[in-house]
Amino acid sequence: MHAPLLSLIVFLPLGGALLLVFIPKEERRRLLIAALVFSLAALALSIALAVRFDGNEAGPQFVEDSAWLGYGIRYHLGVDGLSLFLVCLTTFLVPLVLLASRTSVKDRLKEYLLFMLVLETGMIGVFLSLNLFLFYVFWEAALIPMYFLIGMFGGKRRIYATTKFVLYTMAGSLLMLAGIFVLQAAFARASGSYSLNIFDLYRLSLPSGTQAWLFLAFGLAFAIKVPLFPFHTWLPDAHVEAPTGASVLLAAVLLKMGAYGFIRFAFPLFPDAVARFAPVLAVLAIIGIIYGGLMALIQKDIKSLVAYSSVSHMGLIILALAAWNTIGLQGALLQMINHGLSTGMLFFAVGALYERTHSRTITDYGGVARKMPVFSALFLIAVLSSLGLPGLNGFAGEILCFAGIFAAHKVWAILAVTTVILAAAYLLGMYQKVCHGPVVHNRVDALRDLRPAELAIFIPIVFLMFWIGLFPGTFLRKTEATAARYAALIQSRSAAYVEAQRPAILPPEAGGKAATGGERR
Amino acid sequence: MTGFASLAPLLFLVIGAVVVLLLGTVRKAAASGLQAFVSLVFLIAAGISAGRLWGRGARAFGGQLLWDEAGLFLALLFLLAAALTVLLGLRFIVYHRMPRGEFYGLLLLAASGLVIMTATPNLLVAFLGLEVFSVSGYALAGLKRGDDRSAEAAVKYFLTGSFASAFFVFGLALIYGGIRTLDVSRLGAALAESGSTPALVFAGLALAVSGLAYKIALVPFHMYQPDVYEGSPTPVSAFFAVAPKAAGFAVLLRLLLPYAGTGEEAKIVFGLLAAVAAATMVLANFAALRQTNLKRILAYSSIAHAGYMLVAVVAEDPAGLLFYLTQYLFPGLGAFAVIIALGGPEREALELDDLTGLGRRSPWLGGIFAVLLASLAGLPPTSGFLAKFYVFSAAVRAGHLGLALVGVATSLVSVYYYFRIIRVMFMKEAVRDTDADVDNPAVYLVLFLCLYAVLQLGLFPGNIVTLIGRTVASF
Repeated sequence: MHAPLLSLIVFLPLGGALLLVFIPKEERRRLLIAALVFSLAALALSIALAVRFDGNEAGPQFVEDSAWLGYGIRYHLGVDGLSLFLVCLTTFLVPLVLLASRTSVKDRLKEYLLFMLVLETGMIGVFLSLNLFLFYVFWEAALIPMYFLIGMFGGKRRIYATTKFVLYTMAGSLLMLAGIFVLQAAFARASGSYSLNIFDLYRLSLPSGTQAWLFLAFGLAFAIKVPLFPFHTWLPDAHVEAPTGASVLLAAVLLKMGAYGFIRFAFPLFPDAVARFAPVLAVLAIIGIIYGGLMALIQKDIKSLVAYSSVSHMGLIILALAAWNTIGLQGALLQMINHGLSTGMLFFAVGALYERTHSRTITDYGGVARKMPVFSALFLIAVLSSLGLPGLNGFAGEILCFAGIFAAHKVWAILAVTTVILAAAYLLGMYQKVCHGPVVHNRVDALRDLRPAELAIFIPIVFLMFWIGLFPGTFLRKTEATAARYAALIQSRSAAYVEAQRPAILPPEAGGKAATGGERR
Repeated sequence: MTGFASLAPLLFLVIGAVVVLLLGTVRKAAASGLQAFVSLVFLIAAGISAGRLWGRGARAFGGQLLWDEAGLFLALLFLLAAALTVLLGLRFIVYHRMPRGEFYGLLLLAASGLVIMTATPNLLVAFLGLEVFSVSGYALAGLKRGDDRSAEAAVKYFLTGSFASAFFVFGLALIYGGIRTLDVSRLGAALAESGSTPALVFAGLALAVSGLAYKIALVPFHMYQPDVYEGSPTPVSAFFAVAPKAAGFAVLLRLLLPYAGTGEEAKIVFGLLAAVAAATMVLANFAALRQTNLKRILAYSSIAHAGYMLVAVVAEDPAGLLFYLTQYLFPGLGAFAVIIALGGPEREALELDDLTGLGRRSPWLGGIFAVLLASLAGLPPTSGFLAKFYVFSAAVRAGHLGLALVGVATSLVSVYYYFRIIRVMFMKEAVRDTDADVDNPAVYLVLFLCLYAVLQLGLFPGNIVTLIGRTVASF
């Protein structure tokens, strides 16, 4: 019997939040230290988890399963290759976000930290739950703190943005709840007993009509969260109004909850329906890719530019999933982490600029590189990572995604490649306008380069970007067995699922990848 | 079982009421505390004596009073609600110069009426209980004597309530005319014997159910409720929001459960109830969107919750209903407790704008209110979510997918108006200065109890669920 590692990771942040309640709000330093200690403890435990995680075992590990509320509702946690790195991404980013709040949150720091920690518990719980009920509880529990974070600490239109965010997300998740009821009833009818354990539910074979409806119910919840075009309209509003830390987590983790939902629930539960709806998903994803990219091109506000780039990049992830083959799945899994890191860092960078000048308008800058050379160098790395430069993390994921998409449908792949071109255009264009050229504004003249505390935020992210970019094998190895079993599961349930061969251009280690970078363009 | 023991819960309530009333006349100058204390003592005594009857199937008056587990469970619920209301009223009635003896005395009498309603298999006795409660209720609603709105509330409550009682008793007459019994335990058998429901009984059932629907405030019999809640003294509104609903549903369930599955007519009745439930959920939630007065918002919210509870009746899920009723007591009553905590001498914070900036000035109060609202909205991990989960999943299992979808969709609507309150508290800067009345420990006791219960029932309701499971067997 080992210590309940997963429960500890999930609930340590919540424990920290409870402790914060009893620290007076004037003592900013103590509040911050307490919050950091708890989130770092969660990080340490999740690193231990990643190290001890056995990449050769396909099933969930570190499982905790105990009776809870009857009707198949159980407290059931477990980690596998699908969730491992999403958990690590979350525990990795939260301490950085807390650190950033030291200067960016002037007022009501206590509430800010408290909601951040509750949010962390919710997000990790979503990835670790293996019971539909528990998953739903965490899914909603992650929503509420974000509602407060945007609503209390956001910009001028924060109330509009946060209400829109919460209603959109809730509309989807309530439909999913109805879907859960139907699944529960169907399972009870089929087997005579109650279960909400997803591995039990995987075995349930539903008539294809029911599958279609259920897929729509679950899929809508996840599509809103991703967000998939045309359900994306809440995202730019929420991002622009949200405080830096909330933006980072929203883009890096909350959006992944949607994609994860597709992978973990919607696809394996309703394989027939996926075969039917995959083209629809693909078309929406492609529209999202192109539309998001084009919208990003014309944004004046850096933050909404990054927000629209998220729409575009998440579209690629969904398209890779809709390709409905193993390589696409692996690409999507890796790309989820990559997008979390690169977009998270872009939002940190925008936050660092905004803190200094209180402007996010691109034309208010210019020549920042002269005043902030270190910042500009790091910012460039984030930009390059986001547009998928070989040697950085974005490339490894994107090439897998494209391989999967190409294997499924060549036209999709051709259309999807526009994401790379568009990303290069809007990100590099923005970078050039912000960091290069002559200094025309006084406010830029007064800029000071990054402080040590800020470096402590940027350096670890950059480090990880290089690590994944150069040695993606470290990460792929941990997920391979799960992905294979997942593919086997899907294959056994769906005839349409294609086992795409790993393309020859893609040796398992990254050395060869850099060499193939040119072919893609 | 001796006669006294099986009457003890009711005797304690009635004697307590008389004692408190007398205290009010004898010692006018006494602190409000004394009467409240005496009422609490009698409520606790009633509770203990009810608890001792558990599992014995005690009866009195030749079985007209029957203490089955369901009746006892609900009786304890009413006593708890009354005790919490006493705590809420402690300062409130002093601040608003309400007559003390009458408040506590009438409250105990009202509670005794509710207990009678649920602790009998005989519909006529249930009617007696209903009247005892109603008459005390009319007086309670109008207890804020100087206030026009309180008087309006009392008149409205009285007029509609009288109609409801008339409907109910006329329905009973028809039922009795049709099958010669008003004993619910024999109702099902009598109907099954005749094969189909005689038209007379059918009409009687419809009337009786309508009468109950008035008391529970189901659409279209809900119109009076927002006005009554708005005008009544706030602790009374709190009591009205939770207790009579539970009693009404108990009678409804006793009446309809044996009737379910007795033929085509039963299907029609349940179909109508499903329609009423859907209408209630939709109308109440949409009506609440337009309100700016807190008490009116809460009134519509309580109507909406009656709709959700009715879903449990339609799904024939008494366990789900009892759990819903139990958990609703805490956020339902607690939300009014927040309003009381915000009031002071001669003033009350009743408008949405009064709450601006509350999250900053009194984070505890704002935080508790937010959790209670989350429970009303049905968000995990609060008890409100679990209750909705049980009820809607039972509805889907019973084949009422459409009803569950309406419930889920209207929950989304309700999120908007509950979150509007949260928004005002936490995200807007103060428009008006309303300070929390920190000098009211009794209300804070209630609030923390509600907070605790909402979380306990939402996360680890184990014992209560087991208890309800056992209780339901007696229905």
